[in-house]
Amino acid sequence: MNPFWSNIFRKPGYEGTLAYFLGTVPPFSALGRRDLNFLETLIHLRNYHPGETIFSEGDIGSGMYIIRSGGVRIDMKDEQGQNKVQANLEAGDFFGEIALTTPMPRIGTATATEQTVLAGLFRADVLDALRKHPAIASKILLGLNRILSERLQHAGLRLHGLSYAHLEPSYEEQ
Amino acid sequence: MTPQVRASSRHKNLVLFVVLTAGIASGITIFSSASTVADWLQTATNGLFLPILLSLIVTFLLDPLVLFFERAQISRTSSIFLVYFILLALLGLILMLVGPPNWQSMYDALRADFPRYITRVLEYLNNLMTSLYTQFPFLENYDIAGKVSHGAQEFLGLVLLGTPRSAMRIGSLFLLVPLFSFFFLRDSQRIMRTLISLTPNRYFEMVLDIYDHVSWQLANFIRGRIMEALLIGIVVWLGLSLTDIRYAPLLGAIAGITNLVPYIGPIVGMVPGLVIALVDLGIGPQFWWIFCVYLLIGQIILDNFILIPILISRVSNLHPLWVILAIVMGGKLYGILGMIIGVPIASIIKITLIEIRHYRSSFNLSQEIMLSRRE
Repeated sequence: MNPFWSNIFRKPGYEGTLAYFLGTVPPFSALGRRDLNFLETLIHLRNYHPGETIFSEGDIGSGMYIIRSGGVRIDMKDEQGQNKVQANLEAGDFFGEIALTTPMPRIGTATATEQTVLAGLFRADVLDALRKHPAIASKILLGLNRILSERLQHAGLRLHGLSYAHLEPSYEEQ
Repeated sequence: MTPQVRASSRHKNLVLFVVLTAGIASGITIFSSASTVADWLQTATNGLFLPILLSLIVTFLLDPLVLFFERAQISRTSSIFLVYFILLALLGLILMLVGPPNWQSMYDALRADFPRYITRVLEYLNNLMTSLYTQFPFLENYDIAGKVSHGAQEFLGLVLLGTPRSAMRIGSLFLLVPLFSFFFLRDSQRIMRTLISLTPNRYFEMVLDIYDHVSWQLANFIRGRIMEALLIGIVVWLGLSLTDIRYAPLLGAIAGITNLVPYIGPIVGMVPGLVIALVDLGIGPQFWWIFCVYLLIGQIILDNFILIPILISRVSNLHPLWVILAIVMGGKLYGILGMIIGVPIASIIKITLIEIRHYRSSFNLSQEIMLSRRE
């Protein structure tokens, strides 16, 4: 479409909406605007203070979080029981997505590092959507599935690389 | 003690005294105004209990229908209007085919017949009593027949007086129930989401999960109970209209509604039908057929073998003791209406508690798995 026309038809301020923001997150990047508007109705926005725990290791998980603004630190305990920082996440990142489909215990602790707004997507709402609007819900789940598959493949390749690492020390770097 | 110190301590005493007086006074004010406010609230919400209850029932019944249209990419509001329209059309069609029910003549007939049924029952009771008195003379101290007659007269007066007044109320129900159920259907999800979002971050996931489980179970339970009552009512009505008995639709409605109360309800629901059959038709094949409709077809075949296994999960089964307690407490709070809905409400509380316990146990299990994995 001609940029002139697309400017006229663009709703003012759409870039600021939660729906637009969700479209920029990888699992939902393939969704259309109507689907994103629906997804927005499933989202719970939660506010966290700096240092507030979002979930602890071993909690039963019920959904994923997307960082709307602020930052989140993920810690995991090592064999000695010491907290080890695994990742520092910022706006646009997401975490906890494994728990969305099955009630699994969380494998890490998530803590807000600053004033943070999280968009939470939870199993209860996704299952409800699956019953009521199966077409859109399956699109959402397909997007998540794509991300998880990519990660699984990546992890598989890494594992493969590790098992040959003692034969060819340079394999890891390739 | 210097005069200054004494003066300051006197000041302190004065302040303390004033504060205490003010505290007690405001406490009394708050207490009395609170009871006034509670009174006001009770007066204000007095007539709303029944419409809200009925609207909730209608909401639970219509929700699957609305969902059906919503799946076809129709907006929720339009789907609700569509469902309302279809129901109105159906109702109109039935009225066209059958003709409007003649409430006035039904009411007059019932008014004339009710004392007749009572007199016959009293006669029968009196006969029974005389034969009992001859065998157990000490029973003469208890005037059972008199008590029954007294109670029946009171009940009749209540019905006759209450009917014109409740006709007004029924008129307002026709206005309020569709309105309330419309908003319940459209906004209940949003209202619940707003309420849940008030929980603190730490418990948010747990509350959301538990709410999901509980609401799913509850919706099934309530829908199942309503369907059960409806089907029993229809079957009893149809079964009775095969005989010459009068008031078959009314008796069907009574059987359906009383069926909401387990163990005791079906028996209570049977009594009016059997009394009318006994008085009007006498003991004969028709009476036994009516008896069979109530007991064999309605209760044993339909309810126990077909409806309960399909519609109602075993989770909601209450111990008979709890059933009796719920009936008594419901009756104390809300009279006959409370007796009928007391047991379903007790079941709702039980389902909620069981779901929470279930969730907590699976929570503990997952923590044990985590711990064992780390070792």
